[in-house]
Amino acid sequence: MTEKIKLYDASKCTACRGCQLACKQWNSLKAGQTQHTGTYQNPPSLQPNTYMIIHFQDYVAPEGDARWLFRKEACMHCTTAACVTVCPSGALYYNKEFKTVGLNREKCIGCKECVAACPFDIPKFDAKTEKVYKCDMCESRISNKMNPACVKACPTGALKWIDKDEAMKIADDRVQMLGGDANVYGDKLVGGTHLMYVLKEKADIYDGIKKNVKLPLSVTIWKTWLRPLSLLAAGGVIGGSFLHYILHGPHKPHPEHYDNDEKKQGGA
Amino acid sequence: MKNELVKVTSGYERFVHWMLAVSCLLLCYTGIGMMYKELNFLGALMGGLHGMKVIHNYTAIAFGISLLLAIQMWWKEAGLFVFPEDWEWIKAAGGYLWHLDHVPETGKYNPGQKAFFLAVALCGLLMVCTGFFMLYPQYFPLASWMYDWVYTFHMLGFFVIFPFFFIHLYLGTIGNPGSVQAMLTGYMEKPVLRMLHPKWYKEMLHEGTLIIKK
Repeated sequence: MTEKIKLYDASKCTACRGCQLACKQWNSLKAGQTQHTGTYQNPPSLQPNTYMIIHFQDYVAPEGDARWLFRKEACMHCTTAACVTVCPSGALYYNKEFKTVGLNREKCIGCKECVAACPFDIPKFDAKTEKVYKCDMCESRISNKMNPACVKACPTGALKWIDKDEAMKIADDRVQMLGGDANVYGDKLVGGTHLMYVLKEKADIYDGIKKNVKLPLSVTIWKTWLRPLSLLAAGGVIGGSFLHYILHGPHKPHPEHYDNDEKKQGGA
Repeated sequence: MKNELVKVTSGYERFVHWMLAVSCLLLCYTGIGMMYKELNFLGALMGGLHGMKVIHNYTAIAFGISLLLAIQMWWKEAGLFVFPEDWEWIKAAGGYLWHLDHVPETGKYNPGQKAFFLAVALCGLLMVCTGFFMLYPQYFPLASWMYDWVYTFHMLGFFVIFPFFFIHLYLGTIGNPGSVQAMLTGYMEKPVLRMLHPKWYKEMLHEGTLIIKK
């Protein structure tokens, strides 16, 4: 029952995309419609049937040399996950064993609330099936003591599926060894993510990476404040109306409201 | 001898009122079933949570149409406050909270009813707009942080509409016996009308528009 981390070391990644293919294979995902964007990055972004991609980026450093940066994009498996917080059906849940974020698609009603709430813009909605898709850290594999498919496929050791304590130590050691701008990404976001990066460059150099990620304020107001307050307000008026009825009583016309001839026999 | 009955609503008014009421209630029912995980079981009647979502989405169309008709029909009468007479009524809380021998007289709609109309009109429009964004995000290139707020505002709409709705239900039925007839048969007993809408009664009497059921 130990919390585990998928550690992605960008400095060891050769962008062979073996992980991307293994992911497709294990999850039986067909190829999606794609388009050429001038790089090897394909498809250009996540899709309902593409749970992870490797980003390719040409980066010209201030020193003048060109660098080729790679980054694996997939569900970050937040400790405090906005998607789990907003999901109305319980389709998104925390894996009790590993603290990753699982997705039971049988329960998904396609409301797209998670799509809006996710600070990493990960879940993708498929209009055909009316369901949401994302990486579930190969729950069927990890709960049977296997590595996620992407980790299994990685030939360079850039991907590891290990206990959290060990992952933190390996990541810190690696950052020390790389020196320069190398850093760990994910450990301080949304209570710690369960996909963590070791990056060679400063995080904000990477295209499409999210900075200062936290649970959106709107989600907090919506779920932590308005949700109970609505119930309180609804209960308040129902109880209040009942009290009004038994204490103050209904309004009935006064004698002045009756015509003279009616007043004689009309009560009140 | 029974009290005389006065015509207070037209068939069209009652039709729009009930279309709005039924669709709004259905939306509240399906909405809270999705909002509170603990109330997911409400979906059992509709073949599960997914069926509830489908009904929620389609009912929204009826709600949107009836809301527009209601606004078009009532905004002049119920959408504008008239001072100072409305202010007098507000200060007296309409005579609902403490005993008053004489409640300040207001026109066809009192400020409480006007507030309810405005809450439903404005929050209803908010619900329709935010709902539209939620249903068809692919057609609106909103930034993702804006999308977060769409859901929060949708929830805010419920927070405002439901209490107003319930007070309306209470005051329109057992809180004011006889008033519910206005939306069922279209006729109200004269004493009830004179109690609830004294100024309107006098206006109709003065203008000769008072229609009494034969």
